[in-house]
Amino acid sequence: MTTPGLVDATVRLCRMLRARGVPVTLHASIDAMRALRVVDITDRREVHHALRAVLATRIEDYHAFDAAFDATFRADAVPAPDIRPGRGPERRAPALRGSALERWVSRAAPAEDSMAMAAMSELESTRGTAPAGYSPEELSAMLRVARRMARRLALSPARRWQASPRGRALDARRTLLRALRTGGDPVLLLRRRRRIRKARLFVLCDVSGSMDLYARFLIQLLYALQDSFARVETFVFSTRLTRVTAQLRTLTFAEALARLREVRGFSSGTKIGESLAEFAREWERHIDTRSIVLILSDGWDTGEPARVAGVMQRLQRRARRVIWLNPLLGSPGYQPLAAGMQAALPYIDVFAPGHDFESLRAMIRYLNV
Amino acid sequence: MPCTLEERGSVRQEIRQIQEQLERQSYIADTAVATSVWLSTTLGKPLLVEGHAGVGKTEIAKVLARVHGADLIRLQCYEGLDVSTALYEWNYPRQMLRLKLEEDSPLSLDEKEASIFTEPFLLKRPLLQAITHTGRAPVLLIDEVDRADEEFEAFLLEVLSEFQVTIPEIGTIRATTRPDVILTSNRTRELSDALRRRCLFLWIDYPSFEKELLIVRRKVPGMDEHLAREVTAFMQSIRRMDLGKVPGVAETLDWAAALAALHASRLDPALVRETLGCVVKEERDTALVLRAMEERGLDALAQVTG
Repeated sequence: MTTPGLVDATVRLCRMLRARGVPVTLHASIDAMRALRVVDITDRREVHHALRAVLATRIEDYHAFDAAFDATFRADAVPAPDIRPGRGPERRAPALRGSALERWVSRAAPAEDSMAMAAMSELESTRGTAPAGYSPEELSAMLRVARRMARRLALSPARRWQASPRGRALDARRTLLRALRTGGDPVLLLRRRRRIRKARLFVLCDVSGSMDLYARFLIQLLYALQDSFARVETFVFSTRLTRVTAQLRTLTFAEALARLREVRGFSSGTKIGESLAEFAREWERHIDTRSIVLILSDGWDTGEPARVAGVMQRLQRRARRVIWLNPLLGSPGYQPLAAGMQAALPYIDVFAPGHDFESLRAMIRYLNV
Repeated sequence: MPCTLEERGSVRQEIRQIQEQLERQSYIADTAVATSVWLSTTLGKPLLVEGHAGVGKTEIAKVLARVHGADLIRLQCYEGLDVSTALYEWNYPRQMLRLKLEEDSPLSLDEKEASIFTEPFLLKRPLLQAITHTGRAPVLLIDEVDRADEEFEAFLLEVLSEFQVTIPEIGTIRATTRPDVILTSNRTRELSDALRRRCLFLWIDYPSFEKELLIVRRKVPGMDEHLAREVTAFMQSIRRMDLGKVPGVAETLDWAAALAALHASRLDPALVRETLGCVVKEERDTALVLRAMEERGLDALAQVTG
C-alpha cells in the first residue's frame, strides 16, 4: 500500500518546521520517512511520537512541532480517530515553557518576516541612523572586549591536568610512553599543567521598550560574549523569559535584531522579577560557584519589587558573581531609583554602566574573581 | 511507500511489546518512550534523552539492556573527559615491564615493538568495549553528555556515525554488532546541532499523577494504597511550587520507601516534617513547603485530584 498522501504531508510538515525556525535537514526528512515505515500509520499518536522523535531535536522545538503537526495531519490526512486528549498532562509543562520562544519563532511566516525586516530598515534610513548591521571594525572591537571579559573571568586552576610544553610539572605518563621509542630511556621530558577552570556565563538581557535605544549595542555584546565564552547561556526578557542561546548561534545579526524587536513589540512593560524567577526555576540548579550571572537592564519594572529582591538574593547566593549592567548609569545625574533596581541593588556584586565600549572596558577592571 | 497491512500490524504490536517489556522490568513507559526506543533500535540511530534530574533518563538504558538481555556499557561524562579515558589507552607499565624482561632476548627491535602493541596491552575504555563487543549488541549508555567538553562531543560524533576507530599501532577496528546507543543530558549546556541531528530526541517530563502512582506501586510494593496516593499527590503539589530544586521521581521513591519502612499508613504533619529531607534538599525549599503546609493544610497538598 502506498500512501502518497502521507509522504506529501510529511514533506509539508518539514517545510513548515523550517519556516518556523526548526532546523530540519534533508537527512532528517529521510529519517522521518523511514520512521513512518516502521510505525502504525493509522495511529495518529504513534505517528506523532515517531515524527517528533526524528524532527524535533530539542525541547524548545516541541511546541512548534505540535502546532505544525496538527496543521498538517488533519483528520483527512490520517484516517484515524483523534486521540490527542489521551496524551496526558505530562507534555503540557514543556509546551508552556517553550511557548514564548515558539510564539516568537512561529508568529512570523517567512513572507511576513522579510516584510517586517524591510519595513524596519526603511524606518531606520529615514531616521538617519546607522544602516542595518555593524561595521566589521565595530564588531571586532566588541569581540576584543568580550574576550578580555572572558579572560578576566577565567577561574582558578582545576584538579585535572593537560599537556603543555610550558607546564611546570613532569608528565610521567607521556614521558614514559615517549621513552618506549628510545628503548625505555626517557630522552625527552614532557610536561603538563593544571587546566584552567572556565567560568560559565548566564546572560539575561532586557529587551523591553525602554531598552530599545541600546538594543543594537547589547545584542552585539550578546553575540560577542557567546563567541568568547566556552559555556554561555543567553536569555532575553521583557514580560517573559526566552532562551535564545541556539538562535544566536544560527541567526545572522540582522535577523536576531529583528526577531528580538518582535519579542519586545508584543510586550507591555517589563516584569523583571517574574522573568528572573522563571530563569531561576529552570536554571538555578545549574548555577554554581563557577557561574557568573550577567544582567543587562535599566531596572524599570512593572512587577513586584519584593519578587526581584527575593530571586536576586537566591541567584547571588549560588553564583560566583552577579553583574548588572545598566545603560542608564552612563548618563550623568542618574540615580538608580526605579523600584525594581532598588530592590536588586543589595544583591549585585558589580553594578556598572554598559551602554558603550568605554563603559564596558572600564567595567572589566572590576571583574576579577 | 510500500507497506502491507500485516507488516503495519506487527510493528504496532512491537511497540506495545516494548512497552510491556519495559513495564515488566518495573519501568513505567508511556507510548512516547516506547516509540522512541523502538525507532532507535530499528533505525539504528542513537537516542538522546533529555529531562529534569530524577525522571528516569539513565534508567531507560539500564532497563533496555535487561529487556534485550544485553550487556550495558556505561560511559559517564565529565568535564575534561578525553580519548584515553573514553576510548583506549596503552598499558604503559605492562609494556615497560615486558621490554625490561625481554632486554636480553634475541628478538629484533621491530619484533619487540610489534609484540607490545597488541591487544593484551590495550586498556579498553567504554567506547572501544562497545565497538569490540561480540555476541548480542550491547547497550551503550553515554550518561550526562552535556558535562563533557565540546571537543569531546565532536569526537563522539565521529564514533557514533561510523562505529569504527583507528588505533595507529593496530589499525582500524570496526564494530561487528552495532550497539544500541542512549545518550542522556541534563541540559547544563546546549548540545551541538550536529550531535542532535545524529540522534533521535526524547524529552521526559515529570510524570502525571497516574503515572507516578503506578511507579510508586511498582517500585515500593506492599505500600499502603491510601498512603501511596497521598505521597504522590503531595509530590505533584510541591512540584508546582517555586522550589529551587524540584524533586524528581527518585525522590518520591526514596520518600515512599522511608514511609513504608516506618510502617506509616497516613501522612500527618509531624511525619512530613520528620521525613521531608527525603524529598526537599534545600533549606529555603523546606521552609517554603512547611509554610504551605501550615497555611493550606496538609490535606490540601496531599489531596488526590485528577
